[in-house]
Amino acid sequence: MRFRTMLGLMMVALLWVNMVQAASTDTLVVGVTSDMHTMDPGVSSDNIDWRQIYPCYDRLVKYKVENGLGSTEVEPMVAESWTVSDNGLEWIFTIRQGISFGDGSPLTAEAVRYSLDRTLAIGKGPADNIGAIETMEVVDDYTLKITLKNPYGPFLQTLATNGAAIINPKVAAQEVDGDKAQKYLAEHADGSGPFTLVEWTRGQRCVLEAKANYWGAKPALKKVIIRFMTEGADRRMALEQGDVDIAEYILIDQIPALEKNPDIVVHRFPSQMVEYVYVNCQDPKLSNPQVRQALSYAVDYQGIIDHVLQGSGVQMRGPIPDGMWGHRPDVFQYTRDVAKAKELLKAAGAENLELTLIYSERRSTWEQIALVMQANLADIGIKLNLELLANPTLRDRLDKGDFELCLGAWSPDFADPYMFMNFWFDSANAGLPGNRSFYKNDQVDDLVRKAAVLSDVEERKALYSQAQDIIMEDAPYIFLYQIETIVPMRAAVQGYVFNPMLESMYNFETIWKK
Amino acid sequence: MRSYIIKRLLAAIPVLLGVTLLTFLISHAIPGDPAALIVGPKASKEAVEAIRIEHGLDKPLPIQYLRYMNGLLHGDMGQSIRNHRPVLRDLADFFPATLELTLASLFLCLAVGIPLGILAAVYRNRLADHITRIISVIGVSTPVFWLGLMLLLLLYRNLGWLPGSGRLDITSTAPPGITGLYTLDALLAGDLGLFWEALRHLILPAFCLSYVYLAVMTRIVRSSMIAALGQDYIITARAHGLSAGRIIFKHAFKNSLIPTITIAGLSFGELLGGAILTETIFSWPGMGKYVVDSITTLDFPAIMGFTLVASTAYVGINLCVDILYALLNPRIRY
Repeated sequence: MRFRTMLGLMMVALLWVNMVQAASTDTLVVGVTSDMHTMDPGVSSDNIDWRQIYPCYDRLVKYKVENGLGSTEVEPMVAESWTVSDNGLEWIFTIRQGISFGDGSPLTAEAVRYSLDRTLAIGKGPADNIGAIETMEVVDDYTLKITLKNPYGPFLQTLATNGAAIINPKVAAQEVDGDKAQKYLAEHADGSGPFTLVEWTRGQRCVLEAKANYWGAKPALKKVIIRFMTEGADRRMALEQGDVDIAEYILIDQIPALEKNPDIVVHRFPSQMVEYVYVNCQDPKLSNPQVRQALSYAVDYQGIIDHVLQGSGVQMRGPIPDGMWGHRPDVFQYTRDVAKAKELLKAAGAENLELTLIYSERRSTWEQIALVMQANLADIGIKLNLELLANPTLRDRLDKGDFELCLGAWSPDFADPYMFMNFWFDSANAGLPGNRSFYKNDQVDDLVRKAAVLSDVEERKALYSQAQDIIMEDAPYIFLYQIETIVPMRAAVQGYVFNPMLESMYNFETIWKK
Repeated sequence: MRSYIIKRLLAAIPVLLGVTLLTFLISHAIPGDPAALIVGPKASKEAVEAIRIEHGLDKPLPIQYLRYMNGLLHGDMGQSIRNHRPVLRDLADFFPATLELTLASLFLCLAVGIPLGILAAVYRNRLADHITRIISVIGVSTPVFWLGLMLLLLLYRNLGWLPGSGRLDITSTAPPGITGLYTLDALLAGDLGLFWEALRHLILPAFCLSYVYLAVMTRIVRSSMIAALGQDYIITARAHGLSAGRIIFKHAFKNSLIPTITIAGLSFGELLGGAILTETIFSWPGMGKYVVDSITTLDFPAIMGFTLVASTAYVGINLCVDILYALLNPRIRY
């Protein structure tokens, strides 16, 4: 009897419905796919890390918000103002006074110099973005002079990237074996941003807390919990239950069900993330532009967008996505034309072609897209073999040029067409760095290199525009589509601003909950 | 016995050495450049080269292996390539989660599997046997990811009886880490509420994980019990008029324990390696997920560290099982 009573009590206790206390209105919970790797802005090239790092630091400039929407233009943040010399080489920044780090020490020109210098010295991914810097000179406590190696059009934009975060120079005390405090900053945040990292439990969650003495507008949220939840269905259930406020990367086929739920709002925004196919221009089978054009004519772009993406994307028009300056709405766009494609293949003497498309499992849609392309190319008489590879293997083969066709995705690190035009087409970037089709056209090289060193936007636009016409003719990539970012959140979450430059990142400082 | 244990422990050394060598060779045979993975997708060639040198990836393989082994002998498992942390610290973070889940699953597996198996054997070919057979067949044939999702859907989302994924509620902070087992740590900290919360979070993943093993356990206990119950000494015991309970538990069950322990030991070793599907569905921060992430990013030191821990656990568990054999059956001597 005693056993039964105990069992009964246990059952009651088990079913004791003390569901997770819903987070209060000053706490925001975000359900994300995976744990971050590091908190060091000088090391990480990954938006998964930037999501936590960005709100903990300030930068010289920040992205403007216009009518509640994020823009790709920048405005003053820590830099109150700046001037640039006529030759575009010398930039003088006036630093805002009264900003302090978590320990109370003031943010000065020296802190900015230290931070940028540190990122450059570490020499990992983020250093490439600000690689144009030659020297920095602290003129006085609140004035910093930066001299560039050569005029560099996107320079100001690169200062809004995560790698340009301003770090408290006192972290130098945490250096071990000259590691520039990498060990320390990998797990700690020491910036002047609105939030700071208070907890990071590996594989489970990290907690950011609002700083009481932030120099800018005080955030409405006191605490942000980033919960690492691997499984999409799990994130969806937690969102529906109200355990998380924002759930990332819910599979497209589950979105309609969420849209019907009155407690949930599904936001959709055009992103700068594009997906495309690298066509290896150095491969003998594909070195003839006519063959590459035929491939571009064969693909059923709209079919892929309508059926694989269920409408959450738009076909790319030219290499620069819509929403980025330099995008040309009038540039030539390939559409499916089987007859034309066959004609081109015939003219090139490349009938009965057999090609292989490599792809990885990085994106859930790629398998389907590969199958659609296989059918599309069969229509023009090309046999397409599909080869699924592990991502590291794929990248290795990519870098060596050991492929014919390969599915890829790209998103810009800073808001400048340089991220597309120079990375993708400058032959000096062949391989993994960006020119993944090993495309080489001297005229294009010339145009994009010229555009990179100018600071006048109109002049640069004209050069990029000219290059785009040549590129569309050469067809070194099959330009598939620009993705729509889908962010489902509880209806109570207000003030979210999507910025295409800050994919998977959130403006915690201005979000609030009803 | 003592000399046997010492012999076994000594024999484990070449086994583990072999494991490190094999893992090292296999993980380096996978095409892919870890240096390129560290610097990120758009890095320049120079940046990749610098990282290769920093991590010693430019050295010939034998040198890399010797360097690794040298570190290992000094208690250094190297630094993870993807998060720049000592692997030992990563393992210390992720192993306890797996251990806690494994212990809970093993407990469920034994606590339910053994009685069911005995029941099935005693009532052979009767209703109880049929029911346990159905339970077992469902167990071995249900895909874990489906079971996990259905459990969450029903008990978390629809009924709200049990909490969702993770080791604790989203807003709760972990207890001070002494053992890394949240239930135990919460008890040690004297926080009963947190203990209860951690226990409730364990129920679904542990059930999900144990279900397959439970099915196997039930079948093994049943067949070895049937074999034991058919022995002459059982007939003798019956003839002596011993009670059914005494015959089943004292005589038959004890003798059917050897296969049961073998299976329990194997399951325990396997479970300790982490259960990737269960861990994924329940966002359980264990070794399974850790090693899969390590493999996809070619994080050699992490892969090596995991393999070492998993194989050491296997070797240790096998040794324990062998010792248990001798304790259970005095005829087994080493």
